[in-house]
Amino acid sequence: MTGEGLLDAERRRFNRWALAPSLIILFAIAVLPALYLLAASLTPFQLTSPGSATDFSAPLRNYRLLPGDPRFVNSLLVQAKLSFWGVLFQVLLGMWLALLLNVQSRFVEFARTFFLIPMVLPPIVVAVIWKLIYAPDISPIYYAASLLNVTMPALTSSVDFALVSIIIADTWEWLPFTFLMVLAALQTIPDEFSEAALVDGASRLQIFYYVTLPFIAPILLVSAMFRLIDSVKAFPLIFLLTGGGPGSLTEVTNYYAYLLAFDTNEIGYSSAVTVVMLLLVAAISLGLVWMGRRREGLS
Amino acid sequence: MTHTGSTDAAPAVSRRKLLQAGAAALGAAALPLPAIAQSKPFAGITLHGASFQHRFFTLLQNYIPEFEQQTGMKVDLQLSAFPVYNQQANLELSSGGSAYDFVNVTFILAARWVAAGLLANLDEFTSDPNLTPADWNPKDFVEGAQVPYRDAKGATYGYSWEGGAMLMGLSRMDLMEKKGLKIPKTFAELQQVCADINGTDNVNGIVSFQLHHWCLPPYIQGFGGNIFRNPPADIMPVLNSAEAVQAVEFYANLLKNYAPRGVLTYTEDQARQSLLTGRSNIFIHSSSWVTPILLSNESKVKDTSRVVRMPAGPVRDCPASNSQGLGIPKNAKNKKAAWEFIKWALSPEISMRLVREHGHSSICRRSVIESEDYRKLNTVNGQDLGALYLEVLELPAKGENYMAYRTVREFPVVGDVMNKAVEQVVTGQLSARDAMNAAQEQAVANLRRAGSAL
Repeated sequence: MTGEGLLDAERRRFNRWALAPSLIILFAIAVLPALYLLAASLTPFQLTSPGSATDFSAPLRNYRLLPGDPRFVNSLLVQAKLSFWGVLFQVLLGMWLALLLNVQSRFVEFARTFFLIPMVLPPIVVAVIWKLIYAPDISPIYYAASLLNVTMPALTSSVDFALVSIIIADTWEWLPFTFLMVLAALQTIPDEFSEAALVDGASRLQIFYYVTLPFIAPILLVSAMFRLIDSVKAFPLIFLLTGGGPGSLTEVTNYYAYLLAFDTNEIGYSSAVTVVMLLLVAAISLGLVWMGRRREGLS
Repeated sequence: MTHTGSTDAAPAVSRRKLLQAGAAALGAAALPLPAIAQSKPFAGITLHGASFQHRFFTLLQNYIPEFEQQTGMKVDLQLSAFPVYNQQANLELSSGGSAYDFVNVTFILAARWVAAGLLANLDEFTSDPNLTPADWNPKDFVEGAQVPYRDAKGATYGYSWEGGAMLMGLSRMDLMEKKGLKIPKTFAELQQVCADINGTDNVNGIVSFQLHHWCLPPYIQGFGGNIFRNPPADIMPVLNSAEAVQAVEFYANLLKNYAPRGVLTYTEDQARQSLLTGRSNIFIHSSSWVTPILLSNESKVKDTSRVVRMPAGPVRDCPASNSQGLGIPKNAKNKKAAWEFIKWALSPEISMRLVREHGHSSICRRSVIESEDYRKLNTVNGQDLGALYLEVLELPAKGENYMAYRTVREFPVVGDVMNKAVEQVVTGQLSARDAMNAAQEQAVANLRRAGSAL
């Protein structure tokens, strides 16, 4: 082996040693629980039947039952609706807000900070805020409506508005994220491009479409991807605002998994639900990453 | 003179006598050491216990230093929110852990824990006169409150510290009297009163809260149905029986037509508040949630309120009741010490002190509930709340135990689908028949999935 080859081998060995502690910690806190989850999903584990935790006699039983479980199937659909509309509004409104506030002014700077508050609040606080807003007895919205002689339905227990009320609260909480991302991207666009377009007689809309949008499109995609993955975690809002109801209209998959594990003690089945959810999220993430790379390749 | 005479008469103290007296004094001084050690056989033990947060434990914590002083042990009592505690305790017990020496045996989990053998048999302690003096009297606990803590053979795995008896609170008797309405005693009268009061003076006819699997069963049983075919022996759900469908329709109509907007998302606290402020006329729930209209300083309707038995159904009269108990995990490290604590915490003396010193009335010692002190403290506007509480709490132990449905391990699965069905009917997603047919199908499928033999 040449001297340079020896040096490379030495460097690689050093890198491995340097990475080892992080990898061990990552393995312990991320991979091991996931493996445990997977193992539990292959058993009929019930909290009140301790022996069931190690019963691997019918490992695929839980997975076979899933397609025939109407609440599981419904929970996936509810999750899909919540994620789609939530992410769509967050991306569109976040972008609109960023375009609006992309100017130099003390007031705007203050407004930017103000808009970030919902995102930094603990999710349960956000849920409590919206619980108060949606409670007909004490909500200022209902009070204002009553002054105008308008009778509003109870949003969180209405068939038509329960999911909408969750989407509104989720959008309020996470809109600042896309706003912040897009604003950062907007501030990197050189002014020369839009100035040149203006000189060429382009309208504001044309400048946005042909100059700004291509610049911020990758950021919009990344934001949407992050929010899509995160939208699966809308648990506190559902837990506090609707409890998955009325009926199962707002019961998303993670809430259903929670009920299975801690209300009815079906840890094994709940783990199977969670594994499927994990795989779906991973598939969506990989799909989006692949789309991003393909786009980069094309450009 | 007496003084002189006596001095003279006193025998001289010999050295031998002095030594004997000294030895005796030393002996006497030495004796209390083992005697003290014997009276504090648990000295040095730290007892670990857990429960959910409840006023009972908050009050008990004031007395625990006395217990520690008497026994020499330390008590480490962990209190968490209700769902958190239930999850922790469930995991701890089912994994065979020994982290706790005593635990709260939550009513809704009692049957599962008892059936799965996760708790120690307390009869072994009560039957041993060295461990339990006769005056502790396990039979003094209200029979109805003890039912959930017994297995099929009658062995006891918990003793109740809290009883809940479903009562009806009426906050606006003034409005009812104006309209010539009487306290409803039947389901039909209940509906009539709700209809007549709803909207008057901005008052809602009735209020309820999210846990329909607690509120609905008395209606199902009142119409002659049940949740399971014959619990605990036969746990086949019978949610789509004609009686159950009729009950759901009746209950859903009450909520749809006479309850506040958004009642489906109401918590117990919201419902209680609605009653205490007179915004809703009727609330049917456990005594501890309803009696505050007469007893609490928060109540704005003390003068216009009544607390009575809930109306009876056309077929049966089955107001719900429950209790919470203290038990010892099967693998607890300090079982005898834990029993010492349970014995003390649920003694007639501590129960009476809780009543006298703090007005805490939801205890389960019959001798205390029937005492003059208890009666005096719990008679408000001529209403003997203690007698009412005892009457309802005792019902399941008289004749058929109609609360058996709630103590079987399968109940949470069935209760969950019942909740969904009620919401679907109230919001008009499904008719009562369709919702209960779907609930029955789902309950059977879920129970089979969970391994129940139906």
